[in-house]
Amino acid sequence: MDKKTFLIDVDKCSGCRLCMIVCKDEHVGSGYSPWTKPQPDTGQFWIDVHSLERGRIPRVRMSYLPVLCQHCENAPCVKACAEAAIKTRSDGLVWIDPAPCTGCGLCQTACPYDVIYMNGDLKIAQKCTGCAHRVDEGALPRCAEVCPHDVIVFGDVENGKTLKVYHPEYQTGPRVYWKGLPKPWIAGTVIDALSDEVISGVAITSVDLFEDASVTVLSDEFGDFWIRGMEKDRKYRVEIRKEGYQDFLSIVTTDGDQDVGTVGLKRTP
Amino acid sequence: MSDHQEHRVVYVSHPASGLARSNFPLECHVEGSRIVRSLPFYIPEDVRLYEIKTSRGVFTRPRKEVQMPLAFAAKRRVHSATRVKYPLLRDDWSPDNPNAEQRGKSGYSRISWEQALDVIVGQLNRIHEKYGSMEPVLVQADGHGHSGYMQSLHFWGHYLFDMIREHLGWGWWTQQVRNPDSWEGYYWGAKHVWGFDDTLGEPYQDAVWDDVLEHAEMVIFSGNDPEATGFGMSGSIALEMPKWLKRAGIKVVAISPDLNHAAAVHADKWIPIKPNSDGALYLAVAHTWIVEGSYDKEYVRTHTVGFEEFRRHAMGEDGGVAKTPAWAEKITGVPAHTIRALAREWAAKKTTLSVYFGGPKIRGTLSHVAARLEAYVLAMQGIGRPGRQFLRTGAPSFYKKSLAQVPRYPEVDHHGIALNPMIEYAIGHGPKSPVFIPRTLAAEAIQCPSIEWRGTTASLAKTEDQFNHYRFPPNDGHPGIRMVWNENGSQPGSWGHGWNWLEALANPRIEFVVGVHPWLENDIPFSDLILPAQTNYEHEDLVTVQRSDVLAMFYQDQAIEPVGESKSDYEIHRMIGQRLGLDDVFPPAEQWLKAAYGGTLASTKHGTTWEEFKEKKHFVYDCPTWDEWVEIKKEHGFGPNEGGLHWFWSAGDGLETPSGKIEFVSSRIAELDPDNTERPPLARWVPHGELRDSPKGREYPLSVMSNHPRFRFHVQGDDVDWIREIAKVRGPDGYMYEPCWIHPTDSDVRGIADGDIIMVHNERGALLVGAVVTERIIPGALSIDHGAKIDLAMLNNTLIDRGGCINLIAPTPQEKYGAGAEIAIPEMNVSGFLAQAAKIDVSDIVASTGLGHGATVPG
Repeated sequence: MDKKTFLIDVDKCSGCRLCMIVCKDEHVGSGYSPWTKPQPDTGQFWIDVHSLERGRIPRVRMSYLPVLCQHCENAPCVKACAEAAIKTRSDGLVWIDPAPCTGCGLCQTACPYDVIYMNGDLKIAQKCTGCAHRVDEGALPRCAEVCPHDVIVFGDVENGKTLKVYHPEYQTGPRVYWKGLPKPWIAGTVIDALSDEVISGVAITSVDLFEDASVTVLSDEFGDFWIRGMEKDRKYRVEIRKEGYQDFLSIVTTDGDQDVGTVGLKRTP
Repeated sequence: MSDHQEHRVVYVSHPASGLARSNFPLECHVEGSRIVRSLPFYIPEDVRLYEIKTSRGVFTRPRKEVQMPLAFAAKRRVHSATRVKYPLLRDDWSPDNPNAEQRGKSGYSRISWEQALDVIVGQLNRIHEKYGSMEPVLVQADGHGHSGYMQSLHFWGHYLFDMIREHLGWGWWTQQVRNPDSWEGYYWGAKHVWGFDDTLGEPYQDAVWDDVLEHAEMVIFSGNDPEATGFGMSGSIALEMPKWLKRAGIKVVAISPDLNHAAAVHADKWIPIKPNSDGALYLAVAHTWIVEGSYDKEYVRTHTVGFEEFRRHAMGEDGGVAKTPAWAEKITGVPAHTIRALAREWAAKKTTLSVYFGGPKIRGTLSHVAARLEAYVLAMQGIGRPGRQFLRTGAPSFYKKSLAQVPRYPEVDHHGIALNPMIEYAIGHGPKSPVFIPRTLAAEAIQCPSIEWRGTTASLAKTEDQFNHYRFPPNDGHPGIRMVWNENGSQPGSWGHGWNWLEALANPRIEFVVGVHPWLENDIPFSDLILPAQTNYEHEDLVTVQRSDVLAMFYQDQAIEPVGESKSDYEIHRMIGQRLGLDDVFPPAEQWLKAAYGGTLASTKHGTTWEEFKEKKHFVYDCPTWDEWVEIKKEHGFGPNEGGLHWFWSAGDGLETPSGKIEFVSSRIAELDPDNTERPPLARWVPHGELRDSPKGREYPLSVMSNHPRFRFHVQGDDVDWIREIAKVRGPDGYMYEPCWIHPTDSDVRGIADGDIIMVHNERGALLVGAVVTERIIPGALSIDHGAKIDLAMLNNTLIDRGGCINLIAPTPQEKYGAGAEIAIPEMNVSGFLAQAAKIDVSDIVASTGLGHGATVPG
C-alpha cells in the first residue's frame, strides 16, 4: 500500500493557526474508535505552529513551522512502548491504541519531536493520528484540508530520498517532508557614510571560511541585502566592495540569522 | 467522519458578521444539540468564478472559503461560563432606588420574562410620564458585537424607539450615532482633499485589481494587515490578494510601527515608523520629490488646486522649517536615507498604496493629518494613472462608484442580496432622531452638564456636515440621559477611554440600564436588567455574503436548542413591542426574512422560491466571464485593464470637492473653518499632546499602538479557551494575559523580560499585559491589540484591568479641547497615545471583582 505523507512548505505559511484550531474542532469532545479517544479541551496541540522571529529591526521576518507527529518509519515511540500500544498502519500512519495504552509516558519521553501529550483524565498518551478516521473515508486530514495557503499537503508522495525531513539527525525516518526549512541569513543595509544615501547594486559576498564556497548578492533599492540559505554554525567572511569606497569586511558566525546593521561605506581618499 | 451522514448541515453566520452583512458562513455539522465540527464552505462547481486577465497572468480565487480561527472556535462561546441564560435583575436595583453607584459591583437574580417585560415597560412608561418623551433614553445599538443579518442584529433598539415615536407619539429618543470608527483619518481628513463621501473618504475601488495587477510595480502596505483585519472581515479573499501581488511580481513595502502579520510574511521591505507620525514621513517624501523634480507636475497642474501653497510649506518657504528627510527622521524614527530611497522608488516605480481600513495611523490623535498628507503625495504621483491607485486588500462591496473591485455583475451588486434597512440606523447618512450623540462622546454626554461638537459623525454624512454645530442636551432644561439601552456590549473595548464609559454607567443620573447580550462581559455587568440574547447557532436567519468578492445568500437553520430562556435580539424587541401594542411593525421573523429574500435576484430573476432556497440553503451568484466584464466596464468608461481612479486621471475633474479636483488647500475649510489650527485649509504637521516630545511624554514616554486583533474580532473571542491558548501570554500565576509587544531597548531599561507581566498605565488608568519582547515593534512603542475582555481586579489598592483592554486608557476626543469647549473634530483615538510600562509582581493582584473570566452567572 502507498504510504501516506505530509509535505509542508514553510515558505508559504503565514502563521494563521487555522490548522491548530480545526484539529481541536475535530478531536475535542469527539473520539474516533479505534484510532483515538477525545482530545481534552485544552493543553494538547497535535499540530503546533512554531513561530520563529528572525532578524533585527528593520530586517525582520517570521517563519512558521507547523509541527505535527512526523509518522516516523523508525518511530522511537513505538520502540519505547512496553505495551506495544503504538502501531503503524499499513498506510504508514502511526497511532496510539488507547485500549492497551497505560499512560506511562515513556513514548512522550522518547519522541524527539515533542508531539505526544498525556491525557491525565483518561490515563493515556495522545497525538496526531493523521486523521486516520477521515483518511479511511477518502477525506483529507483537517489541517491539510483547511490550510488556505497550501502549506500542508497530504498525499502519497513517496520520494523521501529527495525531500528534506525535519531534524534528520534524529534518524527516525519521518514521513513528513519539508520544503523551505529556515536556514540562516546574513542581512544588512549599505549606505554612503558621508552623504547618508543608501547604495543599491553593491555586491555583498559571503565566503565560507571552511569550504571553498561563496555567494554574492546585490543590495536593493533601499540599500538592503539578504544572503539567504547559509549553513548553520559556520563562519563566513562578509565582504562589501564598491569602487570608490573602502572595503568592508566582517566575520560572522551563523549560530542564527546574522544582521550586520547599517554599514556606512567610507569613500577612498 | 463515519457519522458524517447522520449530521445535519447548518450554515451559521460568521461571528464577525455585523451590520447585517457577512462573510461566507462555515458549514456546521450538528448532531442533536451538539455542534460536531465546522468546515470551510466550498463554492459549488456550477458557480462561475471570475478571472482577471493581465499580461502577468490570470488571477482568480479558490472555491474553498475559510474564515478566521475564531469562526471555527465560535461554537465554544455558546456555553461559555459567562453565558446569560435567563433574564437577570440586579439585586440592589429598584424603580425607586436604582443604587446606580453599585453598577458593576452587585449581583443578579434570575427573573421570568414576564417580570422582565413588566420592568421594561414600567420604566418606559415612567420615563415618558416623568420627562414627556423618550429623549432621556440613550440607545446604543450600532454593531461591533456578535451579530447576524436580522435575528442577532444590534440595531433593533433604534427601530423599537422609532416605532414608539411613530405609533405611540412618545417623541424622539437619543440616538447614538456610530462614528466612522475604522476610517477616522480618511473621514475627518482625506474627504477634504478628494471627497469620496460615500466611501468614508477612501477612493473608489471599481475594477481596481484589473489595473493594479497589470501595471503596478510596487504596493505600499500602509499599516495594512490582510492576514488579520482583512481575514476577519472578508475571509479567504483577503489572504489571496497579497498572493496575487507576489505572483504579479509586485514589490510590497510595509510602513507601520509593527511588523504586522501580513508584513511579516509578505513584505519585501518593512519601514518601521513611530506611531501616528506618518504625516511627517509623507511631507519628507513630498520634499524629496520637489527637490528632485520627480513628481507628476502636469497632473498636479491639471488635476489639483493649491499645490503652490503646499510646495512652499514643504520647502519651508512659508516661514516654517523645510520638511526634509532629516527633519522627518527625528519625528518618525525612519532614517533620512530610507525616506529618500522610498521617495525615489515611489516616483520611479508605478506605486499603489494599500490599506484594509487604514491601519493604526488612521485611528489615532489627529489621524486626519496623516490621511490628508497621504492623499497629497498620492496626488503628486498622479493617482488614477495606470498602476498608481488606492487599493483595499479586501472586497467590501460598497467602496465603489459603480463597479465592484473584481469582476461581478452590477445587477448582482444592486439586487443580488437582501440588505437589511436597519443598517441606516448605524452606517447611515445621518441620525434619524434629531436628538443624538456621537459614539465617541457617549460617556461625556452622561457625565458633562452639556457638550458641544461639530459633525453628526454619521458614516455617510456629507463632508460639509463636519462644520455643523451640535449640542447635547439639545436645550437648557432638558433632563439629559436617564436611561441606557445597551445592545453592543462593546463600548469600553472598542472605543476610547473605556474607564470613562464604565464610570458613566454608574452615574447616579442614570436611573435604568438595560443590557441585551448573550454574555455577562465588558460593560454588560453594569446593567440593571440583562436580557439573554441568543448566538447565531440558536435561530434561523439569512446570511448575506457581501463582504467577500463573490456574493451569496444562505439560509441559516437553527443549529441547536436555545440556551436557557434566551431569545434572539429581534424576538426580544418584538416581545417588548407587543407589550406596547406595536404588533404590526414586528411581524414574525420568518415573514420578514421571506420578504427580504423575495426582493433579490435569486427569487426575481432565477426563480428560486423561498421554500426551494430554504431547502437548498444557499444561492451563490455567478461572476461574469472576462469578456462579459470587459463589455460591462466599457459601459462604465473603463478599458479592459483600467480601474480605480482611472476615470479621474482621464477627466481631471468630477470629485465631490467644491472644485471637483484634488484640493491641497481645502476651499471648504477655507470658507467654513479657516482659523482651525488643528485642521487648517492646508494640512501640515501638527504637534500634539500624545507625542513623546510633549510635556506628558516625560512621565509617559511610550507610544501605544493598537491594531485589530488576529485572533479576536473586536471584543469577541477572549472567552474561548482555544483562542486564549494561541493568542495569550501565560503568566506565572497561570492567568492568560493579553500580549504586549515591546522592543528589547525598552524592556531592558525597565528590567522586563519576555513573559513578564507588566502594567501599562497613563493618567486615564492601568491594565496588565504579558510582555512579548520582540524586534517586530519600533523602539519607543508598545503594541496591544484592541478589545481584550475586561477583567477588573485590584493591584496594590488600585483598580486595574487584568484582562488587558487597552481601550480603557485610550484618549477621548474631548481631552484636546477641555471641559466645556466645543469639540471641533470628535474623532476616535484608539492608537498612538502615551503610556508607561512597569513590571509587576503577580502576587500583588487581588483577583477579579466578579466581572472576569471566572464570573459565574446566576440562574
